[in-house]
Amino acid sequence: MTVYKYFIKIALKNKWTILGYTIIFFSMSLISGSGATEREPKFMETRLNIGIIDNSNSELSTGLKDYLEGKHNMVDTIDDEDYIKEQIFLERADAIIIIPEDFQEKVINKEKSIKIYNDDRKIESMQIQNQINKFLMFANATYEDGKFNLANVNLALREKAKVKLANNNREKNNSINNEWFRNYYNFTSYVIIAMYIAIIGMVMTDFTDENIDSRMKISSKKFLNFNMELYLGQLTIAAIITSIFILGSIVLKGKYIGEVDFIKYVINIIVFSFTILCFTFFINNFTKNKFVISGLATVLSLATSFISGVMVPQEFLGEKTLLLAKFFPTYYFVKVNGTTVNSFSDISFNIFMQLSFAVAFILMGLYFSKAKQKA
Amino acid sequence: MVVEVKNLVKRYKELIALDHFNMEVEEGEILGLLGPNGCGKTTAINCILSLLNYDKGEIRVFGEKMTPNSYDIKREIGLVPQEVSVFENLTVIENTDYFCGLYIDDKNKRKQYVEEAIEFVGLKDYTKFYPKKLSGGLKRRLNIACGIAHKPKLIFLDEPTVAVDVQSRNFILNGIEKLNDEGSTIIYTTHYLEEAERLCKRIIIMDKGRGLVSGTNEELKSMISTSEKIVVGFTEIEDETVQNMKNILHVMDIEKAGEDYIIKFENGFNNLANLMNFIEENQLVYTKLQSQLPTLNDVFLELTGKELRD
Repeated sequence: MTVYKYFIKIALKNKWTILGYTIIFFSMSLISGSGATEREPKFMETRLNIGIIDNSNSELSTGLKDYLEGKHNMVDTIDDEDYIKEQIFLERADAIIIIPEDFQEKVINKEKSIKIYNDDRKIESMQIQNQINKFLMFANATYEDGKFNLANVNLALREKAKVKLANNNREKNNSINNEWFRNYYNFTSYVIIAMYIAIIGMVMTDFTDENIDSRMKISSKKFLNFNMELYLGQLTIAAIITSIFILGSIVLKGKYIGEVDFIKYVINIIVFSFTILCFTFFINNFTKNKFVISGLATVLSLATSFISGVMVPQEFLGEKTLLLAKFFPTYYFVKVNGTTVNSFSDISFNIFMQLSFAVAFILMGLYFSKAKQKA
Repeated sequence: MVVEVKNLVKRYKELIALDHFNMEVEEGEILGLLGPNGCGKTTAINCILSLLNYDKGEIRVFGEKMTPNSYDIKREIGLVPQEVSVFENLTVIENTDYFCGLYIDDKNKRKQYVEEAIEFVGLKDYTKFYPKKLSGGLKRRLNIACGIAHKPKLIFLDEPTVAVDVQSRNFILNGIEKLNDEGSTIIYTTHYLEEAERLCKRIIIMDKGRGLVSGTNEELKSMISTSEKIVVGFTEIEDETVQNMKNILHVMDIEKAGEDYIIKFENGFNNLANLMNFIEENQLVYTKLQSQLPTLNDVFLELTGKELRD
């Protein structure tokens, strides 16, 4: 087992690479995790800075203005799209509302009646939209004989419901913990790609170096045994790296494992690790250039993380980005992490896709290997 | 016969790297493959070791046909490649142990062999050193240790002294002689004449993929017409006198080399004395007089019309 022994030995000489990525990963997990576990005790409405341009000057638009003025701080604005966008961008206003001339008719006909400029990424945008929707819904409900009963609308809006959430702590905790585990395991895809290529890929370049390879070929070590030991070495290093991150999740959130689909995360990361190991096999047969491999480790890990929903949730990514992401297994890995599992069939397709990539990488690797032998 | 190569042909598309090359190596000898860069020495070795496929011919090692799966034969072979082929991330002892481990499974036996190899190449004080910390000469020694640690019966040394300082070169050459004394058969490729003359019991001179001639050092030198060269310089000499020198017994040719003249003699005795008589008779004053026996370079020059180092 000389080859196996020295593969491990050389791989572990990259301990600073392993340690570096591990520290970065766990630091980021701890930072993101500290926020995710905080329980919000109550919900409070916030006073926002809003601007209103009323082109309708109707009874209904005045009622809406009065309602919003009571809840928010008003800022001056003008009916100029560029100016309005600048106000939003510079955060001088959280939202600018434009009420059109035919506001009342549109409300009566249940058409989209108001234009709102805001930053969709901010949670405040939801609040203002909810309040406007609520007002218009109540106003529509009081419309009778060609008139709105704004007095009743205001009465209804003043009503406060006392809502008691019955025994939902467990569900809320589950949701928060699931989100933590999902984010944690999503992010492992980045470090797994980066570390596998940077460590296993680099060690393999040493073993496949033309001169060292010649020495192996003239030795009495059988080719099959030699390769078996090399692949066993790769599997061992891959298992060590992946185990660090599985164990990390247990150390950081071990007491919540029972509340989440932990087995799903473990199965998924093992399948993904295997696929990336196959990808590393393909890379090693494609190139022996250490600079190329080092570049791939950095670029591929980051790029696939960005387009596959590791850094930014898949829901916020464009269609074209997601279409591109489907050509790499990270997309399917992230999909599984985000799926609530009732039975294996819920994740079977995405697991199958990852394994299909593994097979494809092996076949491509073998193709390049054969091509090189012929050359 | 340890190695037998018959009519070996190796082509790289249009280029013929080996052109019906023949070679026989007997047990216990050091055979030198001598030739300029690109003459096919390394290609021949790679074909013998089954590292390269060849187009035609037959190769037998230890009496058996050599194939990539001839593991029993490979067990008895060691290779010291032209390039230093070691792991940069392993120390001297780890590198030697790794390459020895490709042949020897027994841990205790391997430990002993590795220690002996490291001592043999004089790297005992550097066992924990990484290759990048070693000088060029020491790296070459490590390269040798990795190729011989498993105590092979047949060793291929492919230009092991390229870019090595004089001290390390002598150390390496002494080591090769010692390996041979201990019973190893050695195939040694080089383009350094003096190394081949010193080490090799038999030499094959190669050019353009062909074996031009083979024989012992003396046999090769006796194959050429020039048996002695005398370099002489005069304070003053007339062209007519130079022409008259050609009448000295055994003189074949006279060449002007700068201010000096190289007088080539064919086989014969008292060449220097005859030349001295001529100088006295013609009352010439010489500034330089140097007798040289033919070298392998002269052999190569006469066979190919070019210098060995071209």
